[in-house]
Amino acid sequence: MAKLSTDIPDLVEAFGPTLSRVPAGGWDDTREDDKLVKTHCCFCGQQCGIQLRVRSNKIVGFEPWEDFPFNRGKLCPKGIKRYMQDEHPDRLKSPLERVDGLGFVPVGWDAALDCVVSEIKRIQEKYGKDSFAVLTGASMTNEKAYLMGKFARVALQTANIDYNGRLCMVSAGTASKKVFGIDRSGNPWSDIVAADVILVAGANIAECAPITTDYIWRARDRGAKLIVIDPRMTPIARNADLFIPVRPGGDIGVFNGMLHIMIKQGWIDQEYIAKNTIGFEEVARTVEKYTPEYAAKIAGVPASMIVRAAELFGPAKTSFVMHARGIEHHSKGVENCIAMMSLALASGRLGREGCGYAMITGQGNGQGAREQGGKCDQLPGNRKIDDPEARKYIAGVWDVPEESIPGKGLSAIPLVEAIHAGKIKGLISICFNPVVSLPDANFTREALGKLEFYTNIDFFLSETAQHADIVLPGSLMEEDEGTTTNVEGRVIRHRKVVSPPQGAWEDWKILCELARRLGKGDKFNYAGPREIFDELRVASKGSVSDYYGMTWDRIEENNGLFWPCPTSDHPGTPRLYEDGKFGHPDGKAHFIPVEWRPSVEMPDEDFPVILTTGRVVSQFLSGTQTRRIGALIDQIAEPFCEMHPQLATKLGVVDDDYVKVESRRGHVVVHAKVVKTIRPDTVFVPYHWPHDRSANNMTIRALDPQSEIPEFKICAVRVMKTERPTDPIAELEVQAGGIR
Amino acid sequence: MIKEDFFIDYSRCIGCEACVQACGECDTHRGVSMIHLETIERRDSVQTAPQICMHCEDPICAQVCPADAIKKTPDGVVQSSLKPRCIGCSNCVMSCPFGVPKYQIDIDQMMKCDMCYDRTSVDKKPMCATVCPSGALTFTTMQEIQRTRQGVPVNEWKFGAEVVHTKVYVMVPPEVARVDIGLIQIQTTAAALPSDPYDVALMLEN
Amino acid sequence: MNRGNRMNNIDKREFARARGSDTARATTWGLLATVALIGGIFIGSRGLRDFDPALVSYAGATLFAAFGLAYRFSMWLRRPPTRLYWYRGWQIFTTPGNLGKNVAHLFQIFMSNFVFQRFIERRSHMRWTAHWFLAWGCLLAGAITFPLSFGWIHFETAKSSQEIYRAFLFGIPVGHFPVHSVIAELAFNALDIAAVMVLIGVFTALWRRGRDHGAMAVQQFADDLMPLILLFAICVTGLFLTASTHLMHGLHYAFLSQLHAITVIVTLVYLPFGKFFHIFQRPAQLGVDFYKRAGKEGEQALCIRCGSEYASRMQMDDLKQVQAALHIHYQLENGSHYQDVCPKCRRKNLALTQDSMWKALQVKGEGS
Repeated sequence: MAKLSTDIPDLVEAFGPTLSRVPAGGWDDTREDDKLVKTHCCFCGQQCGIQLRVRSNKIVGFEPWEDFPFNRGKLCPKGIKRYMQDEHPDRLKSPLERVDGLGFVPVGWDAALDCVVSEIKRIQEKYGKDSFAVLTGASMTNEKAYLMGKFARVALQTANIDYNGRLCMVSAGTASKKVFGIDRSGNPWSDIVAADVILVAGANIAECAPITTDYIWRARDRGAKLIVIDPRMTPIARNADLFIPVRPGGDIGVFNGMLHIMIKQGWIDQEYIAKNTIGFEEVARTVEKYTPEYAAKIAGVPASMIVRAAELFGPAKTSFVMHARGIEHHSKGVENCIAMMSLALASGRLGREGCGYAMITGQGNGQGAREQGGKCDQLPGNRKIDDPEARKYIAGVWDVPEESIPGKGLSAIPLVEAIHAGKIKGLISICFNPVVSLPDANFTREALGKLEFYTNIDFFLSETAQHADIVLPGSLMEEDEGTTTNVEGRVIRHRKVVSPPQGAWEDWKILCELARRLGKGDKFNYAGPREIFDELRVASKGSVSDYYGMTWDRIEENNGLFWPCPTSDHPGTPRLYEDGKFGHPDGKAHFIPVEWRPSVEMPDEDFPVILTTGRVVSQFLSGTQTRRIGALIDQIAEPFCEMHPQLATKLGVVDDDYVKVESRRGHVVVHAKVVKTIRPDTVFVPYHWPHDRSANNMTIRALDPQSEIPEFKICAVRVMKTERPTDPIAELEVQAGGIR
Repeated sequence: MIKEDFFIDYSRCIGCEACVQACGECDTHRGVSMIHLETIERRDSVQTAPQICMHCEDPICAQVCPADAIKKTPDGVVQSSLKPRCIGCSNCVMSCPFGVPKYQIDIDQMMKCDMCYDRTSVDKKPMCATVCPSGALTFTTMQEIQRTRQGVPVNEWKFGAEVVHTKVYVMVPPEVARVDIGLIQIQTTAAALPSDPYDVALMLEN
Repeated sequence: MNRGNRMNNIDKREFARARGSDTARATTWGLLATVALIGGIFIGSRGLRDFDPALVSYAGATLFAAFGLAYRFSMWLRRPPTRLYWYRGWQIFTTPGNLGKNVAHLFQIFMSNFVFQRFIERRSHMRWTAHWFLAWGCLLAGAITFPLSFGWIHFETAKSSQEIYRAFLFGIPVGHFPVHSVIAELAFNALDIAAVMVLIGVFTALWRRGRDHGAMAVQQFADDLMPLILLFAICVTGLFLTASTHLMHGLHYAFLSQLHAITVIVTLVYLPFGKFFHIFQRPAQLGVDFYKRAGKEGEQALCIRCGSEYASRMQMDDLKQVQAALHIHYQLENGSHYQDVCPKCRRKNLALTQDSMWKALQVKGEGS
């Protein structure tokens, strides 16, 4: 059914989001803590170390963990207040069954699981195995990510499993594999500090990876130069030595233009290129025409900026290159990354102290989740699902016939499109809120309405879970244990801090029990996540991302281990490419020429303004967790439309006016935020909020052909002044999609 | 005795408000944040800045307190107003050269940053300086700050003709010995610098 | 405005004088208070006829406390900010035409701040519980012991019947009640009731201070624990006296009564110096409430940087005077005054100043 069972305000009334402002026991509870547990933040890919304070099996506060080397006690506001999601009034503590017109009613676990299993069987028998799909997430442990992949391929035997890392790391991953042969940041973060020049493109580090600021500022204390490329002047850009306010989608202009100048000036490492790479000549030919003037036209910035960037970056002794979604969320996301990687490669500054390349992972386990098999085209250990060797090996680990493992399935967007087209009839999802996070949100909502059966595992009733037939209450990060792999490729240990509340189960238990009821219990017979990890180690053995030499104990003792770590005495590999050896079979890095091409939807007469979307510092992704924490909503309560005063004047808009931002697919009404720190041709709306406040109502369902990442960072809109809306959604609390 | 020093460097701030959120977790004022985080002028720039109590050697807040309610610990930390004495007059709020004390209307009392005295008095770092991802707030030793940072820490200020010495240091470029507040800056930068340095449209015109 | 100017001139004179011989002035006030109290005792006890010689040590300690309190009160009022508030409070309170309204308001503040102590309740329930019991226990005890030790009240059995007690205030009969009655029980055990109330307060306070990490970090023995210990000692020794009388046939009564006297005398002597001084400080500053109300109703100060209202003009003008008296010089180079910048703009201005120093360095670096 998967249509909403009752009106949104009724669902919000019953399940939130409501705001938690006080820790368990209240601020005045001054009893001693029972224990202090060292673990990690559940949010972004930095995976900062944090200690949680526990009293009577309740998390009552936090304490910085200064000995953890990555963040040394430092935290962002999300990490500090993350503990407020525990003991939350919205917490799901019983399976729920959809009742038309009423919303949801609690049901027993047995009945709920029976219902799910019988619907899976019914749909798969009627429409085929692949008609039941799995959407999984990248904010879960390696163990759970691995389990989800195995659940889809062994218990459901469906090809159609994909994950929300599709909205995050796939462009960077694909490019990295193509150029370096390995999908991982090349260096530990400590190398940032030792760099003389830092080139940051499309990464709002201060808000989306705040801890990385510390590394960059420490480098600047040493005298390093900072170049920031972004359509908006972000907080770190304010202090940059060079800020290039690139036109959204114009990044290749900057990168190819820089390389053009570097080649002309001889600021490239010929020896390194000759020894460790192939394909440079073709790239040199391609960038030949990217003169500063030509490049500047593409980038939408003065040519002098590109020249200055080359002057700063080219002759440097050491350098660090890093990027994030700003260049990746494009229909040419992979090419954007490749163009940037070429700069690092041509400079020969890789695999040494202070010389490196990194992609800034967005999600908590963005790195690990894609390695363990949550991706439609990969088996555990970053193995290609259509590689016969890989299939044979994994079939052995799983103890199933190789031919029973399905082939490549649909990635997230095509998967939703297949639901919309009626090809996929059933869905199970976990750790994913596509109604808020996928582009073209109206289409996503329509698609969900066409499912015959949808079950959702979550700890809160997310906007997507509102559509479910059966909701299974799962566990928060701190209620289960396992490992994640952070932005550096460092595998770290999440400890179980408290047990899930009465009525909720650890996610792995839910999956194993579903598998048992589907008749695959023998393949999912784990006593706990530690056993899942031990199987994962074996599954990754011999692969690029080899975890075989790691154990939970070793990870704890070493404050994390970097993959590859093939044997139990291997120290792990913090820095890749140290010897100039890359991940391709020929051991070389592969230069790939890229040409700039326009984005799928460029501004025109009807929709003359560029919309770009992104995050704010106090919210995380679709906000299922952070929109329930009072302090974080207080910090930034609503989405807004950032626009330059020049554009505002043209539109007759002043700061704080209500504006309607509208694309061909949908619109939002939000407050205008008139600021000089954004390009006059571009507006920015953050995407964490739902319903009529969802930036993804407007974004386009255009994909990068290689990575299949959606083009979140550019679509065409028109903006107009409007009145405050007064419909029932507008009247909701801001965290639920209302507007003040 | 507090062994390390507090260093503030406004220019590093990224406005994430980790300090604001962490401050409310301090045991001497749980649930209430004492630190200030200013957005300087959002229309013109993304500049933000934190302000903690600078813990003056001869605190003006205490001098102007009619109730004699503001006291310094032997290790130089200026405490929140004494609850039995504070009469909520806000003289301190209005006289502090750094704009630090906060009048809490619901309890009719002044409260302020006390350098997390529950933590610093037992050799832990203050909450804000521990979590701050930008190093705008740093609690460390003088040697360590001199080793790792450009510029110099100073703790002398001049507001008009009033010279103030503080326990907390501010990081300034080398050869600056004192922060002089002789005039009030209205714009986003000093007169000698470009008038609208963060206007993206101006950058694109060049 | 005229009125304001007039007051300003008076204030200036007062401040000038305040810098004179503070100690001599305070000593005079202390002696005056002592003499007044001696006179009060003498007259109130009808030429010491009603004075109980057994309580002479209490009266003596009270005289010392009166000297100390008046001395400290006077010294405290010499502080420019205190003095200004003291004057301003009275000035606003006695403004002709508003007096009636102000008296009504004073009653209202008295009920909420003094009787119910709501402002403490809003800080913490635990703190309020402790304070309310401590305050009212002490007030009740004081209301009995001071008049008793001064000989202002005394009890006699009625001449007509051994079963009737008569109470006298300043030697005037004010009532009588049977010896075996509820009223009598209450009257003679009032100090025990007060002791129990104080003990409830003491234990609540100690419990809070022993558990609240915040309180533990900032509390000091002399300021925060000593007063509780003194009150505890008074109550316990006092209760021992009752126990000795009623349960143990007067066992060690003389020793216990001396012990009790010592605890009380030590507390009385401590009164002007420690935390207990706030009992006299707080009520003296009820005027701030009127000051704040008058400020809100009057002209507002506008920040010279952002132009917004941020405080009352009266308070800013007064502060400038207080600062002048304290030798705080906030005049800026261009003739403006730092006091006219709102706290928010002060913070922004500091950050801008420091950030510009670094930016200038960066610009210079690029130029070279």
